[in-house]
Formats: sequence, C-alpha cells, structure tokens
Amino acid sequence: MTKTIQIIKGHFESQQPLQLAPAIKAGFPSPADDYHHDRLDFNRDLIRHPEATFYGRVMGDSMIDASICDGDIAVIDRSIEPKDGDIVVAYVNEEFTIKYLDLSHKDEGYIELRPANKNYSPIRINADDEFEVWGVVLWTIKSMHNA
Amino acid sequence: MVNDIPMYGIIDCDNCYVSCERVFRPDLNGKPVVVLSNNDGCVVARSNEAKRMGIKAGTPYYQLEELFPGQKIAVFSSNYELYGELTGRVVDIIRKEVPVYFRYSIDECFVYLDGMEQFDLKQWGEGLHKKIRQYVGIPVSIGLAPNKTLAKIASHFAKKYQGYRHCCMIDTDEKRRKALRLIPIDDVWGIGRQYANRLKKMGINTAYDFAERHLDWVNMTFRNIVVERTWRELNGEDCVPNEQLANKKSICTSRSFNGMVKDFATLRTHVSNYAARCAEKLRAQHTVATIVSVFIHTNPFREDLPQYYNFMEQRLITPTNSTMTIVQTATKVLQELFREGYQYKKAGVIVMGIGPNSPIQHDLFDYNAEQFEKMKRIDAVVDRINRLHGTETIVLGAQQYTRPDGKGKADVFANAIKHDFRSKNPTTRWSDIIILK
Repeated sequence: MTKTIQIIKGHFESQQPLQLAPAIKAGFPSPADDYHHDRLDFNRDLIRHPEATFYGRVMGDSMIDASICDGDIAVIDRSIEPKDGDIVVAYVNEEFTIKYLDLSHKDEGYIELRPANKNYSPIRINADDEFEVWGVVLWTIKSMHNA
Repeated sequence: MVNDIPMYGIIDCDNCYVSCERVFRPDLNGKPVVVLSNNDGCVVARSNEAKRMGIKAGTPYYQLEELFPGQKIAVFSSNYELYGELTGRVVDIIRKEVPVYFRYSIDECFVYLDGMEQFDLKQWGEGLHKKIRQYVGIPVSIGLAPNKTLAKIASHFAKKYQGYRHCCMIDTDEKRRKALRLIPIDDVWGIGRQYANRLKKMGINTAYDFAERHLDWVNMTFRNIVVERTWRELNGEDCVPNEQLANKKSICTSRSFNGMVKDFATLRTHVSNYAARCAEKLRAQHTVATIVSVFIHTNPFREDLPQYYNFMEQRLITPTNSTMTIVQTATKVLQELFREGYQYKKAGVIVMGIGPNSPIQHDLFDYNAEQFEKMKRIDAVVDRINRLHGTETIVLGAQQYTRPDGKGKADVFANAIKHDFRSKNPTTRWSDIIILK
C-alpha cells in the first residue's frame, strides 16, 4: 500500500508573521484550527523591545572566553537596566566597547569593565569619570558559514 | 478648566537632529554641535551649547570658522536616513502608550489622552521622557494641556526650565493665566509672523494680552478662522481640528468624498492620487520626504453610524519625491489602516521629514501632465531593476546630477549631494553598525 506524501513548501522570506485570518467559516472546520500557533519568529521572540534594540559588530578578541569573537554581531537592548555580571556595551574614550559589567567595587567608588581574555586588563571607571553603559547585550550572532 | 476632561500632549525631540547624532556619539553630550542643511550650506540644527555660543540658525557653514575662530564645534551634514529611523522609534514608543497620536513633523507628535483622565499625567509624562531617553537616547520635551495650543505653550516651558523634568502641564486656570503672561505673542502656535507684528503694533505683546481681548474684536480685526481658534484655545476651549495640524514642515493632500466610500479599492484609488499629488508638490519645491503617513476617517456627524479614525505612517528607506515610491508606500499603509464595515468620509496623505533634494534640478524632472503616465511606466521598470541590482543602478536622465567636481552629468543622487560630514547609518545599514572593541 502506498501513501502519497505531499510536501508543502514553507514561506520563509516573509519577515512579518501572518495575520490571523478573519473568521470566515465555509465547509468543514479544520481540526488544526484549535491548535493554531504563530510561527516562531526571531524578530518577535528575541527582540523584546524593538525601539530600544541596536546592533553592533565585535572587533577583536577581548571577550573570546565568553565565546564572543571577532566579527560576531551583538544584539543590544537599551531598555534593560544593566546588572552586575551583564555583558554590556559601554562608551569609553570615544569608543564603544563590549565587556562584562562588574559592579562589585561600587561601594569603593569605582566599577570595572572586565574583558573575557587574560591578555587584556579590566577598565576601571571612577565615580566621577564621564561614563555611560550604552546598552545590555542580549544575544550574539555568529556566522558558521563562509558564504 | 476641569481636571476630568481629556488632555492633549505635544512631544517634541529636543534639538532633534543634534540629539540623533549624539546617540552614537555620546562624547558630544555637553559640547557644541551643529547639523548643516543638505549640501552643507548652512546650520539647520544646534545643540544648546551651540545656541549659547551665539550660533544662529541659518549661519552659512563657511562663516562658522570666521565667526567663531578657534572654537571647537562638532559639525555634521544632515543625515535624514538616521533622523527618520530614530524619530520613528520615538513615535513607536509613544503610540504604545496613548490612545490617539498624530505625528506633526519629523520631531513633533501630538497625542490625545482620552480615557487617561485618572492618571497622574505629569508623572506619566516624566516617565515617558525617561523611557524615550533610555530606549532611543533622545531627550524630548512634553507639554500637556486641555488643547493643542496650550500644550504647545506648556512644551515651551518644559524645554526652557529644567525644573519641569521635561514635562510641563497646564491643568488649572491659574497655571494657564500665568503661562500666557510669560509667552510672547510671536511664540503662540497659530499666530504667524505677520499677525504677530500687527498685534504688537496694537500693543499686544503676550499671549495673555491677546486672550484677554473680546472675541468680537478678534473677529472684526482679523476675520480669520485660524486666529479665532487660537484665541479660543488660549482661553481653554478645544477647537483646532486635526486637519489644521498639517504644517509647513509637511505636505498634506486630503479630501472629503462625495458621499461615503465603503470599499478598499475606491479608497485606495483616492489615497494613491493624494500620494501622487504630494510627490508632485515635493518635486515642485525641489524637496524629498522621509515619512509618508495616511489617515482615514468616517463621518463624525453621522452619529448613527459606527465611527473609525486612524492614522499610520511608514518611513522611507531613502528620502524621496518619486511618485512611484510614495504611492506604493501610501497604499501599503492604507492596507494596514483599512477596516471593513465602515463608511469612510475622508482620507488624506501627509509627507514629512522634508529636506532639500539636490544641488541641481532639471526641468525634465518637474511635473508635466503628458509625460506623467509615461514616467510612471518607466518608473516601474526602473524600480524593478533597481530592486534586483541595487538602488540607483538605473536612474532617469532627469534624476542624474552634476558631479561635485562639475564634470559631466552622470552621477547618482547619493554621490551628488555634498555631505562631507555625514555620519553613518547604524540603524539602517549592516555595513554601518557600531563597532564594539
């Protein structure tokens, strides 16, 4: 006995999730109706605050031990309050830098931006230095294919 | 004025273009920054520090060095792609927080806080400023009042005095009177320069002087509905219609229909025509737009019918005045706005974020009725090729510009504009995203 398997091609180039179809009922309802679920969508699921999300490209290997490599793309969310231990983007000496935020010395009047590579030393920021955490890194994306 | 009537707000990006540039250059906070007009002609935006130095809007770039020798001023060419994207984020945040919003220009947005009467709106405004500042990196000023004219006045105070923490609310008659006494008549929204000069000659110097006159006197003297509405609003009434919000910084084409329109196809035809008209107006004044917005509404006087009012906008990837692009964008927006089951009375297209087009403009490019249809077809083919092979692979002869070095004519728009100090586009181009070291 043979069964025909029909292969339905997905439509992956669309960026927008499909709108729910209006409730026009004709013929028999599909048994799948009750199980309807929107397709997974990186734009929707990984970017929680689109208005606050920016991207950056990593240059160098100062975060190599955190698996953040030269050329990776970082997804930066400015809406999130930076916490101790977060990987953040900070603006220091007229440059954006990606580092661990270390707030453990806050009571002693300074904080540190710690690299994840023993060949680099931490950047110490004193309380009166002009400094801002520009955003919190939520994801990094690395290409696994030489296209 | 009573506290339980809905309030209006105006949310305004402080020194918008400068603030946009500072998002990716935090080192320039607290320093004088100016943004130049297209072609680096003259100063169009200034940071507070630049204003304090005495740099005037409109100062030609080449004079800056003469006038302010040896002073450090950060100078940027205007980058509408960046400003359009970042201000779009600001609008996205606003519209998630309010029931009704109406973008007035690239850097200003009116909101109508219907249903939010029970909120502590002053605190809400301060919070909104903080949120926009944190999310996008742009500071805004917020004015809240029972009508648009007073909201504008409130935003003056929010901008001027730090004590307001970026949000000023005029919600009592006492505050209204106090505010009007401090506002020069020239700064009143809706009073043009000519009217302001006439009023000053009559000894009317502040908004308060004007508001205290009798309405009959106002009507006898000016016979102008806009002036009358301004007077009424200064006195606390709410009467400036949304249609009046189209300003010089935007171009609006809108019509009421003969009868009602129910179907999408007819509405689309109307909107396409309004969009095309906006594109023509842009070309006629040699400008390009950054944002296309569309509004549609039902007949508010037919209370027996279901009512629908909505407004939506779309940023253009590249500022343009192409009929093709603007019509396409407007119909796309309409598709999202349109709701089945209403009888529509009016629609309109507004383009904003308007900047100058180019150094040189050719007659061919101007609107010409016979050529219009032909152009449209050519546009379609050209656009398709450009989509496949990259922008400006093919441009119309008329869209070509003389090279900056003056040799020949074969240059495309992006290269022909002089923008020696143009910043990158970290939010619209992968090649320009920020570098993290």
